[in-house]
Amino acid sequence: MLHRLESLKSCTYDRMDMTVPERQAARLKWQQQNHVVQNNNPVELCASSGSVPRFQGLVGSNLGSGQMVELKRLEVFLGTDNFQEFLNFPVTGPEFGDSEKLDLLPPEAAADYCISRTSSCQMTALDTAVMKEEREDMVLEKMESTIVSGRGSFNKRKAETVADHKSKDKRIKGEGEGESEVKTKCSTEISRNSSKENSKASEVQKPDYIHVRARRGQATDSHSLAERARREKLSKKMKCLQDLVPGCNKITGKAGMLDEIINYVQSLQRQVEFLSMKIAALNSSVENLPTKEFPAIVANFPAAAKLPEMAGLPCFQLNPLQKESVNCMLNESMHPPQTEGIASASVSISEQSLSSSSMTQLQPFSTWNMDPQGLYNMYNMGFH
Amino acid sequence: MEGCMKERKRVYPMEPWKIMQPSFAAKYVGYLVPALTNIGKRASPSVDRCIDTEKIVRYEIDMALALSAEGFAWSHALKHKLRPNVDNHNHAGKSQSYLAHDDDHRNTMPVNHEPATKKLKVDTKRSETEAAEEERLTYLRKLIPGGSGEMMVDDEILLIELGSYVSCLELQVNVLRSMLQFN
Repeated sequence: MLHRLESLKSCTYDRMDMTVPERQAARLKWQQQNHVVQNNNPVELCASSGSVPRFQGLVGSNLGSGQMVELKRLEVFLGTDNFQEFLNFPVTGPEFGDSEKLDLLPPEAAADYCISRTSSCQMTALDTAVMKEEREDMVLEKMESTIVSGRGSFNKRKAETVADHKSKDKRIKGEGEGESEVKTKCSTEISRNSSKENSKASEVQKPDYIHVRARRGQATDSHSLAERARREKLSKKMKCLQDLVPGCNKITGKAGMLDEIINYVQSLQRQVEFLSMKIAALNSSVENLPTKEFPAIVANFPAAAKLPEMAGLPCFQLNPLQKESVNCMLNESMHPPQTEGIASASVSISEQSLSSSSMTQLQPFSTWNMDPQGLYNMYNMGFH
Repeated sequence: MEGCMKERKRVYPMEPWKIMQPSFAAKYVGYLVPALTNIGKRASPSVDRCIDTEKIVRYEIDMALALSAEGFAWSHALKHKLRPNVDNHNHAGKSQSYLAHDDDHRNTMPVNHEPATKKLKVDTKRSETEAAEEERLTYLRKLIPGGSGEMMVDDEILLIELGSYVSCLELQVNVLRSMLQFN
């Protein structure tokens, strides 16, 4: 009966490593750990934050001083040994302004040097982001091979033109950072060289960190990386929600999506309220409820619950538009002997009502863009 | 979605609540129907019986929702709202307070429908969009039960909970509609 359905479910749950509460607990654990990490790196952040404001405008990342909503465990790769460079770069910043090659962005270059290009981050779920950044890795490696190595040398402009062509062809995700691409393109090449050594060493790091290479035109500040990862996750979730809420395919932008979601939730809640009032009216008007039918509903449900197993897999393979064939299948599966006496009586009732009720039910649902599993549920409802 | 459907045997969907949909419907009806029959059988010929019935029905409906969707923060919060660890025999009173609380934020819609994003420059545009988004997120938090609690401070968790809440609401509406049609 329902037990078998439960076991079917539990099989699927095995694949999910964590349910939502467990994930939340894990997240809280991360946050606690991160508090420790953050306490250890105040100086680093100070060094970079001083030159960050201008950079913020460029990259468009929303780094606020107290804006770490979700802290991931980050370690800027320039941990201990390279910290000196951190401090040194601002000093050498103004020199770039003199160089003709770097006349395009004097102060920003300083900022870039303060911010490392590669940082290794420990992230929980960054599948696509990591993959894309690994791809970026490959290209970066190629580009770096053409660039003179050495952190101190700043003669990167030659390689820049070469790199420019390559980088222009690349498709990078990250709509928000796209606008800063032009401005930070130049700086990317310069600091890329500084990160060349980092990249080599970062590959040999401890296995439990995910190495994230910065995409073009993006800061590698630990804050912005976390922010970016967070934003990507959020957009992923928003896309899932887009699937749930009907009519959201054309809407772009988070605010519009949220609007739609709000409207939809409100309408659903209003519907529930309306239906509950109707049921209450029904209850009060019909003094004696048709008691034989309600137990039939309940009795039918174990039978209906069996249906997912028997007709489940074939049903899922059906095109959701083929309502009639699903109907027939469910009809057939209802025929197998029902042991409960009441249920047999209700089967005939339900078959009569099936054609009338299920069809009328289906029309509103077709606009709901429900997945077949939900539709399948509705067929179950139709039996009652 | 259809591509996912074909592979349903092997590929598990990203959203765990989609797996629970069949059992949700079963549990929901399994809880609600006996509860409703009990309401019918309960002999209480009071004057304002209609109002009471409404509230009781509403209470039972929400209770059924909370119980059928175990494992979500919002269902947990909903359960606690309905049954705040007090004994249960004062259904009408509790459901009344619950309903009153519910109706309050139905009317306050602070959402700004203007396309605030289109006219402004980069910096200000970003902050305005963010403010608008924040506004909407806070409104969403009011809609979803337990949205203002500690569990859902994180935006990501809020979105996940929203997804499950929306799908469970849909199922609930379907069940209720079918029950009405059957009657």
